[in-house]
Amino acid sequence: MKWASGMAILALVLLVAAGTWSLFPRPDVPPWEEETAAWGAKNAVAAIVLGARLWDTLFEVLVYAMAMVGVRLALRPLRRTEPQAPLPETPLLRRAADVLLGPIVVFAIYLAASGHLGPGGGFPAGALLGSGLLLLALAKGADRLGGELHEPILERGEYGAIVALLAAGLGVLFLGWVGGGLFVGLNLLIALEVAIGAWVVLHHFASSRGEV
Amino acid sequence: MDGMAASALAIALVGLGFWTLLRRRNVIWKLLGLNVAAGGAILFLVAIAHRPQARPPILGLGPGQSADPLPHALVLTAIVIHFATLALSLVYVIFLTERRHSQDVHKLEEER
Amino acid sequence: MIYAVGGVVIYLVLGAGGFLVRPRWLPGTLALLAGVASLALWAPGFSEGVLGGGRWGISVAGDSLALGMWALALVIHGAVLLHERTRPGPFHPLLTLLVGTCLAAALSRDLFNLYVTLELASLVSFLLVGYEGKPRAVWASLQYLILATVGMTLYLLGVGLVYGKLGTLSLSAIAALGPRLSDPAVGIGAGLLVAGAAIKSGVFLFGLWLPPAHGYAPTTVSVVLSAVVVKMGAVTLARLTEALPVGPALVVLGILTGFGGLLYALWERDLKVFLAFSTVSQLGYMLLGFGLGGGAAFGAMLYAVAHGLFKGLLFLAAGEAVERVGRREIARLAGQLSVPVALALAVGTWAIVGLPPLAGFAAKGILAQDAPNWAKAVLFSLEVGTAASFAKLVPLFRPQGTSPIGGLGFLAAAVVALGVGGLLVVPGLFSLWAWGEAFLAAGIGWGLYLGLRTLRPILPRFTFDRALGSLFVGAVVATGILLLW
Repeated sequence: MKWASGMAILALVLLVAAGTWSLFPRPDVPPWEEETAAWGAKNAVAAIVLGARLWDTLFEVLVYAMAMVGVRLALRPLRRTEPQAPLPETPLLRRAADVLLGPIVVFAIYLAASGHLGPGGGFPAGALLGSGLLLLALAKGADRLGGELHEPILERGEYGAIVALLAAGLGVLFLGWVGGGLFVGLNLLIALEVAIGAWVVLHHFASSRGEV
Repeated sequence: MDGMAASALAIALVGLGFWTLLRRRNVIWKLLGLNVAAGGAILFLVAIAHRPQARPPILGLGPGQSADPLPHALVLTAIVIHFATLALSLVYVIFLTERRHSQDVHKLEEER
Repeated sequence: MIYAVGGVVIYLVLGAGGFLVRPRWLPGTLALLAGVASLALWAPGFSEGVLGGGRWGISVAGDSLALGMWALALVIHGAVLLHERTRPGPFHPLLTLLVGTCLAAALSRDLFNLYVTLELASLVSFLLVGYEGKPRAVWASLQYLILATVGMTLYLLGVGLVYGKLGTLSLSAIAALGPRLSDPAVGIGAGLLVAGAAIKSGVFLFGLWLPPAHGYAPTTVSVVLSAVVVKMGAVTLARLTEALPVGPALVVLGILTGFGGLLYALWERDLKVFLAFSTVSQLGYMLLGFGLGGGAAFGAMLYAVAHGLFKGLLFLAAGEAVERVGRREIARLAGQLSVPVALALAVGTWAIVGLPPLAGFAAKGILAQDAPNWAKAVLFSLEVGTAASFAKLVPLFRPQGTSPIGGLGFLAAAVVALGVGGLLVVPGLFSLWAWGEAFLAAGIGWGLYLGLRTLRPILPRFTFDRALGSLFVGAVVATGILLLW
């Protein structure tokens, strides 16, 4: 069985390679400039993700949110009540958090707000904010930071962002909303959602880490 | 990188990931293999979008051939989905480790 | 189009908002009402439209397949709400999101949108399977997650190949280009797409995660999974046949699935796992029908709806029985079921064996009407096998005591209504020949059961590594069939 399935993987790789070989040379890209401009964006990828294929993006955001629900559901029964050994902490980390946190937040907002003009967008911005929170958690201790960030409020923010995105989706798909302002709003909502989700994962992973 | 080289690399990554997934008995190793394979599939889509000497599909970056924007948008979605499934499966592994004290597939499979 | 998509959005909003609202069941009920209203508004169907417009937009259409799946998903959601309102935790919001996602997947006519909606549907299913935090269910859920992700990786590679060659993701645009499988990129891409979708739907060799996941999930969750979620994989396969000429692969997979699932169902002793294997074998009917196309595809759609209804009923009754008695083996449950549960099991069995006048008979009849003769023979022998495997449930029909009816009555009424309605509407079904054939199959099945029940063959047990390996082999086989056809 092992032997057969190993051969199957090899055959699969060869098949995909043969299929890909026949794709070359690649034809020219059909023109995309006009459609991008019609959506009020400069970045064609942003025009697709937040405009033409917003329907996909809505489900993608839901996938992300559902994974966070799963993290909460599965790890809640494992939450430890006794205090745990603190994460390793160094003065270097604390100084780095002091210095870097401001620029991280500013850069994340910049990424979200300019995603339709150049590289960027809500997802990288949210991931950046989430990693900023990780830095803060390493410097301050995850449990302490978890106490300061009130979970019910975060949850409300998360689901509120999803509901707002879905409502905006109806506006884009049926009422013909376009333009840069719309994209900035959508990107900020996505960034909020992603940052909260990233924090939920980090916090739950850190607080159920068990013996190291 | 050339589109052809990138797609060859992508396909190799998929094979390598699937091989790890199949051969390792530890669930975490399996998830790592799966993640490499998923990364390969994502790189494959990026390679499909590539054109020789292409620029990014952003208005105002000058003349010449640009990359195909649609696969880039698909990749953005696929990355997030893979991140979400990976997070969820790791959480399940944590849960199983706590409850069954094992990450070995054969031990997890024993009837309980 | 706006009514259907609006209905989906309302469903999703109420699902996501449902995490914050109490009582938990209220948003789900509102969503169900909105879904029914939306279905009534777009009911006869709508022609294809492009969400987002332009070359990049996502095509959606309300054809008969979408109509059937919507009706099925809404009925099952209604039955679950009737059955279980007071479940603690985020069960109802998750369920609402799951149903909403399935509604969206049924409308979708875009390769990548199908990928995204299927991913969301399976992610929510993993959560629901592992929901009660029992290690066995969590392990089943993790297996499901890994195998499904492998499937989706293959699907993504297929999307890349097909898009790279044809330059579009919309199914009707692909069909208009008249793709030929002899082109390596299209043929191999189509094979990978079929393999990816087959894993989602639990086809034999691809979907061996299905029996443990459905068998060990909480009662109402197994109802939704085998009634609705599995059908979404089958619908995706049906959609693929509309764009790419992948029918032959579906026919081969359908026959393999039908008999393979049957082989395991015949000797399985755990009631819920048995029902899950029977789901696998019944998927064979649908794939065969979708692969043949034309009138048989319509019959397969009807069979998907009918199977959703009576398998939902069977799982609901079986879950009740297992929870009440505390044992899972069929032999240990005999004579211990309450009247409604035993009655529901009997109705479900009558329907799945394909005896008139219930839903199974009508749907199987329509499926067989337009099929060629060899396919009729396959269908008949599958029916005999189904009867033989379900014969071991007969000792369970002796009831004792009573219990609340819950959603059982609703689903049983739906099974009866669909069956009688089919008999009245479709002309060829009232013939002596069709009725005789159905009873003949059941009779032969009964005899087969009596002959086989003393046998105890040792079938290879499905471990996780075997499931993984068979999946890769299956993917290569499916691609090979398409390339060599």
